[in-house]
Amino acid sequence: MADSSLANGQDPLEEKLGRLSKKPGVKASIVLDRATGAILKTSGDIDALQTTKSRTTSTATSFSNDTTAAPEESESRGVEQFAAMVWNFVNNSGSFVQELDTEDEVRLLRLRTRKQELVIVPDSKYLLVVVHDTPPV
Amino acid sequence: MQQRRDEILAKRAKLAELKRQRELRSQTTAGRASIGGPSDLISPTPGRADSRREIEHLLASLTSDSRPGSTTTGGAASPARAAAAPPRPISLTTAPLTTVYECPPSPVKEVFSYSKGVQTTEDWMLPSRPRAQSLLSEADDLPGTTSTPSKRLSRRERDREEELRQKIKEEVEEELRATKEFLTDGVVPQSTFASTNHPSRNLTTEELDAVAQSDEFIDFLDKSTKVIERALDQESYDILTDYALQGQDVDDEDEEGGNTEGRGKHRVKEVAQFFDDRWSKKRMISGIDFSPKFSELVLASYTKNPTAPHEPDGLVQVWNLHMQDRPEYVFTAQSDILTAKFSPYHNNLIIGGSYSGQVLLWDTRAKAAPVQKTPLTGYGHAHPIYSVDIVGTQNANNIISCSTDGVVCGWSMDVFAQPQELLELKNPSQAKVAVEDVSPTCLAFPHTDPTFFLVGSEEGTIFPCHRYDRAGAKAGVDKKISYKGHTAPVMSVDFHPARGPVDLGDLVISSSLDWSVKLWKVRAPAATSTIGTGDGSIAPLIDFVREDVVYDAKWSPTKPSVFALVDGAGWLELWDIAVETEEPVSRITPSSRKDGRTMLSKSLNKVAWEPNEGKRLATGGIDGSLTVFEVASGLGGKEGSKNEEWTNVKKLVNRLEAVGLNGAGMV
Repeated sequence: MADSSLANGQDPLEEKLGRLSKKPGVKASIVLDRATGAILKTSGDIDALQTTKSRTTSTATSFSNDTTAAPEESESRGVEQFAAMVWNFVNNSGSFVQELDTEDEVRLLRLRTRKQELVIVPDSKYLLVVVHDTPPV
Repeated sequence: MQQRRDEILAKRAKLAELKRQRELRSQTTAGRASIGGPSDLISPTPGRADSRREIEHLLASLTSDSRPGSTTTGGAASPARAAAAPPRPISLTTAPLTTVYECPPSPVKEVFSYSKGVQTTEDWMLPSRPRAQSLLSEADDLPGTTSTPSKRLSRRERDREEELRQKIKEEVEEELRATKEFLTDGVVPQSTFASTNHPSRNLTTEELDAVAQSDEFIDFLDKSTKVIERALDQESYDILTDYALQGQDVDDEDEEGGNTEGRGKHRVKEVAQFFDDRWSKKRMISGIDFSPKFSELVLASYTKNPTAPHEPDGLVQVWNLHMQDRPEYVFTAQSDILTAKFSPYHNNLIIGGSYSGQVLLWDTRAKAAPVQKTPLTGYGHAHPIYSVDIVGTQNANNIISCSTDGVVCGWSMDVFAQPQELLELKNPSQAKVAVEDVSPTCLAFPHTDPTFFLVGSEEGTIFPCHRYDRAGAKAGVDKKISYKGHTAPVMSVDFHPARGPVDLGDLVISSSLDWSVKLWKVRAPAATSTIGTGDGSIAPLIDFVREDVVYDAKWSPTKPSVFALVDGAGWLELWDIAVETEEPVSRITPSSRKDGRTMLSKSLNKVAWEPNEGKRLATGGIDGSLTVFEVASGLGGKEGSKNEEWTNVKKLVNRLEAVGLNGAGMV
C-alpha cells in the first residue's frame, strides 16, 4: 500500500522533474548517463538546453523550410550538443578534483553566468542538470 | 584496417623476441612463461621494474603534449571508478587507442572500445603512479621473475631494448598525433561534434525505459532533485550582489511584510508553512517534533484522509526548513498516527504511536513503511496510543508508550515483539468512580528521572505514577497524591526543561479542554510518601484562563519563564510568566492557505519548540498545514539569557506557594 506510488515507476519520476520545472525560475532539466553521456530524460523548456549557435541554425532551417522534419531534428541535435558540453564539463571538473585529491569527488556544480545558472548534481551513474534564471544583476 | 593489424602483429613479434631473449638469459624457471602465448603480451615480466618505469616515464613525457586529444575520447569518463581499474602494461595501449577512431561506429563495438579507452588513457594520465601490476599477471609470473634481477641485463641488451621501445613510442606518438588531427578536424564542423565525441549512440526507448525503471535511477532522481530544490530555495540572498553597482536601497529586515505579530523583543514571525497537496490533504496534524540533531528538520504526524481510502491511513512527514515545497521524507502506516517523535539518541529513527495501538519505528535510511512495529494483538496495547516517549540515556533507553485504556508499556529499541515492562494504571479512588481505569490522554517524564511520570486523564486529574516499586510506593499510580484542578480532559502535560542555574524541573504546565492552562509544582517522587495532608490533592499554582479549549502547551527550551500554547480558535500564544500572568505577551495565528477551508479549519492541535536554539516553534492542526514561527530574543534563543530570569521564576513560584496554600491558586 505504501509503495503504490512507486509501483508504476514512471509517474513519480515525471512528478519529481515536473515539480522542479514548476519552481520559479527553473527553465529546464535534463538527466544524463554519467558513463556514456546519453540523454535519459529531459523536462521543461527544451529551448533552454540549446547553444545559441544551434538555436540560430534551427531558426535558419525553419525559415528556409526545406522539410518539416528539419527543425525538430536540429532541436534534438542542439540538446545533444548541450548534453555533450555539460558532460565534458562535468568530466573535466571531475578529473580536476581527482588530480587535486584522488580520494575526493565532485558533489555539486553550480555554474552561475550572467544570464542563468546551471545546477549540476553528479552521481556515480547519472547526472542531473537544472537550468534556471537568476535574479538579474 | 588490415595494415594496422599487421603493424600490431609486427610489434608483438618484436616484443616476443625480446622476451624470449630475456628468458634465456635469466637461467631460471623459464618454462612457465610460454613463448608467444597471450600472457606474454598482457604481462611483460613485472620483475624488471627499473627499466619499465623508465620506459613508462619516457613514454609519458613523449606523449604528454598530445594528451588532450586522448582525454576527449573519454579519458575522464569515469573519474571515480577509473582509479580502481588495474592499469595495463604498455604493450596493450597502442591498439585500443586506434580502434576508437578507426572502427566504423557500430554500436556494440563502440561501447566495447570505449571501456578499453578508459583503461588506456588512465595509464597515460598517471604515469608516475607506483606500479600496481594486475593481480593476474603477478600471480602468473611471480615464480619466474623473483630471481630475475634487472641488473643482470647487459648494457648492450638494454640499449637494444631501449631502441626497440623508442621505435614503438614514436609510432604511438604518431598515432596520437593522427587521432588528434582527426579530432580537431571533427570538432570544427558543428554537426560532427556531437556524433564523434559524445554519446556513442542514442539509447532506444526500451533502454530508456529500463533505466527509468531501475531503483538506482529512481533513488538518484530522488536525491538529486532534493539537492537542487534545497539549492534553489536557499536563493533568498544573491551572493553575487554588487551593492556598489546597484545603488538601490536594500530593504531592512524589520520592514518586511509577511505574517508578523508583536513588537520588539516579543515579535513572532511566520517563517514557513508546509503543506503537500498529495499527502497533507484532508488530514489533521496529530503530533509535531523537531529533530534534536538537525534543527532544520521538523516532523508532523497525521491522521487519515477519509476521502482517500487507498492511501495509507497513517502518515508522518519530515519537513526541511530549507526545502519548502515538499517533505524531506514521507513515512506511512496502516493506522492513523496519533503521535510521533524523533529519537533523541538515534539520528535516523522516528517513533510513533497509532490508533490501532501499535508503536511504530521508522528509519530515514529505509523506505516509507515502518521498519519495526509492535504486534496488534497479544502483547502490548489494544487501544489508541496518544503518547510515546524515549527515556533513559544514550546507552540505555526505552520507548514508553501509553494507551487510553491505562496501559503503559516500556519497549526495548530492538525488541518490538513484546514489551519489556507493562504497567496498568488504576484509579486510586475506586469507590467513587464507575470506571477504574485511568484513561490517560497524555504522559510526561521529568527531564532528570526516567522512573517517575505524570499522566493527564480524561476526567481532568493529573496522576503521578511510578514505573517501578519504590520505598513507600508501588509501581503504578501514586495513591497518595493527585493534581486536581482541570474539569475536562487534560490535553498536555509538560515538565519544565531544567537546564539553567536554578532548578525549576518540578514546574509543570498542563492544558485542558476546560479552557485553561495550569501551572503546577510537582512533589519530588521520593517525598510523596511522607506527605500526609488531607486527600493528597494538590491545587495548581497559577490558572491561566483562556477563551477557548487549549490543546497544547509547551515550555520554551531556553527561556525559563516562557511557554507557548495553542487553542481551538487557531491562536498560538506566547506567555512570559515573569512579565504577565493574565494575558499572553504575543499571539499570532498561522496565515491561512489559499484553498484552505475557513472557520472550523483554524483549530490548532499541537505545538513544539526547536529544542537547541529555542527560537523556532511549529504548530499545526485541523487543516493539515504545518506552520513554523520564529520568535525574537525576548521569547526564545540563547543570547541575553540571564541568571535573574531563573531566580525571578523561582521567586514567583515561592510567592505563589506562600499565597495559595489553601487552594486559592488564582493570582
